Formats: sequence, structure tokens, C-alpha cells
Amino acid sequence: MAAIRNQIRELRAEREMTQQQLADQVGVTRQTVIAMEQDKYSPSLETAFKVALALGVKLEQCFQYEPRGRR
Amino acid sequence: MALSYREKSLYASLVAEILVYGPYFVFHHQNSLNKVAGMIAAIIVLQAVLQGIIAAFSRNRMTDERDRLIELRGYRAGYLTIATLMVAGLALLWFHAAHGSLSLNHPWVGLHFLSVFFGMLVIADITKTATQIVSYRRAL
Repeated sequence: MAAIRNQIRELRAEREMTQQQLADQVGVTRQTVIAMEQDKYSPSLETAFKVALALGVKLEQCFQYEPRGRR
Repeated sequence: MALSYREKSLYASLVAEILVYGPYFVFHHQNSLNKVAGMIAAIIVLQAVLQGIIAAFSRNRMTDERDRLIELRGYRAGYLTIATLMVAGLALLWFHAAHGSLSLNHPWVGLHFLSVFFGMLVIADITKTATQIVSYRRAL
């Protein structure tokens, strides 16, 4: 699993936002949002900031870095 | 299974490559410059038609950083494939030439080499496309 985890799905659900709406706001495809939510794709720093901005939270509330072997 | 524009495009490329290159390399018995030229023309026409149809029926043709990353992965796999095949091919050439089982003065040897190297390009191209499709299916 990726060392970078995120709460995109939970934060998006709280805001009743669809994957497509988030994708449009961030400027990525819906498939990329799906991949991020499944922790299969770690976005670039710029995209991570855009996701946090679209969800209205700070970056660290949306993305967490967990060094491998600590879980 | 929701496919993005890029994924549909890749599946179309793979279908075109298999449809054109498959019969050429499986069924042909004699190397011919006309056949190679015909194959190149066929892949260009088929790709143009298929990609045109996909573009016409795709509302969202956007690509993003993940698409570019997957594209790079595909090109890396393709490069490694062609580099490996080239080294193996040159080693085989040296081996056969050294043992006298390959006459480099034969009039058809140029066409034979063209076919072999074109085959390497085809294998590398199919590897590139297949790697990209697998990357998309595995999310990356």
C-alpha cells in the first residue's frame, strides 16, 4: 500500500460532492480521483494542494504520510 | 468498467496493432518491401479511423498527470523491450555470421533485416501499449 494516505472519500462524502465534481474542480480525470481514493495513486504536490483547496481543508487534513513499517 | 478517453484510445491502438501486425507476422512466408509498406499504410489508416471514432464519441478528452505518468511507464517498457531485442538480435547476427550460417552477400539479406528490425519495433510498440493498459487497470 502507498505510504501516503488520504481522506478524500470521507471529506467528499461530507460535502456531498461527486467524484466528477471534485475531478472538474481539481483538473484531473474521474479515474484519477478514484485511484487517489483507493490509495493506489499518490498525486503530485500541486494536485494534492488543489484537492485540499477544493475540499476546503488544510493539506494535512486531507493527506497523511505514514512511513512504511510503522503501521 | 468506466474507461477514460486515454484507456479507450489505448484499447483501440492494441486492436489495430494486433489486426495489422498479427496476420503479417503469422501468415506471411516471404519478405517483401510492398508488404511492409502496405502494413505501415494499414496501421496508419486503421489508427486514424479508430481514434477518430473514439474522439467523436468521447465527451471528456482531458488528460492529467496520471495519464502522463502511465504514458512514460509505457515508453520505458517499450524502450527496454527494443533495447533487449536489439542486443539479442545483434548477438544472434554475430553468432550466425561467425559460424558461416548467414551469408551477408545474399541479395535478400537487406530485406530480411528490415523485416526482423520491423518485427522488433512492433513487439516494442505492443509492449508499450499493453503496459499502459495494465497500468490503467491496476490504477497505476
